[in-house]
Amino acid sequence: MQFTLDPKLAKDMLVSQHHNQRGSNLDRRHLLKLGVASVVAASLPGLRLKAQSCAPPIPANHGLSNGGSCPYPIPWLDKNGNHNQSPAPNVELSNIFHFKGKLARCNGFHGMGTDNKGNRFAWGNPTTDYSYMAGEYWAGRQARQGIFTHT
Amino acid sequence: MPTEGLTFSQDGTTATLQMTNVPIIDQPRWPAMDAETTPASMDFKLVFKATSEPVKYEDPLRQFRFEGFKANAQLEATFRVPSIDFTFKTDPLETSKCDFAVIGTEVNGKYYEAPKS
Repeated sequence: MQFTLDPKLAKDMLVSQHHNQRGSNLDRRHLLKLGVASVVAASLPGLRLKAQSCAPPIPANHGLSNGGSCPYPIPWLDKNGNHNQSPAPNVELSNIFHFKGKLARCNGFHGMGTDNKGNRFAWGNPTTDYSYMAGEYWAGRQARQGIFTHT
Repeated sequence: MPTEGLTFSQDGTTATLQMTNVPIIDQPRWPAMDAETTPASMDFKLVFKATSEPVKYEDPLRQFRFEGFKANAQLEATFRVPSIDFTFKTDPLETSKCDFAVIGTEVNGKYYEAPKS
């Protein structure tokens, strides 16, 4: 998701939570996990962001290991370093592979708003996109239930 | 995310996604590789409303099928960047527009079964 103010205006701002950004100390899979965690944290009043670990646990005493609960990325997007593509007709809309459930996506928002100094700005651009995915996904050799959002 | 963040109307044609105090980043120079980030937060409410126009997107080679309806989506949000004392609040939900929106169901990967020809 990204919000840009009108580029013609002197003060630009971009607020974004990009799961596909490069150059970060966090790898892409961690960012997806962090994004999910941020949504969880967001809904609980007073709770600060804490990344939920979905990494495979290290088994003790020679126990089984079937992988972690991280959702699997879309393979042909992942190989290009992305977790998603801009929603459009006839493209893969999900951010998660091995998924079945409810999904909605949108992009290209346009609107107006006001900053804390009373200045009026336009917001939105073609990549201002949101989504939810609610249903079953397969990870760590088992079906799991989850609700995810891309903001 | 918890289930209460995503709600559906009884007939399933409207979905509301609402969050508060979501930690995000302010990254004015994105997508530059060395774009610096600043902690920020946002509240938002997003409403999808299905239209009566059905859509089906399917690609057997990429193993996905989306079935649903074109939709209208509207958004209102507030953004805060405390370190620069900046807050931005959008106008009410009803004043926003979006270029593309769909709502429905999807299957992909191991859950996908190609149509039998």
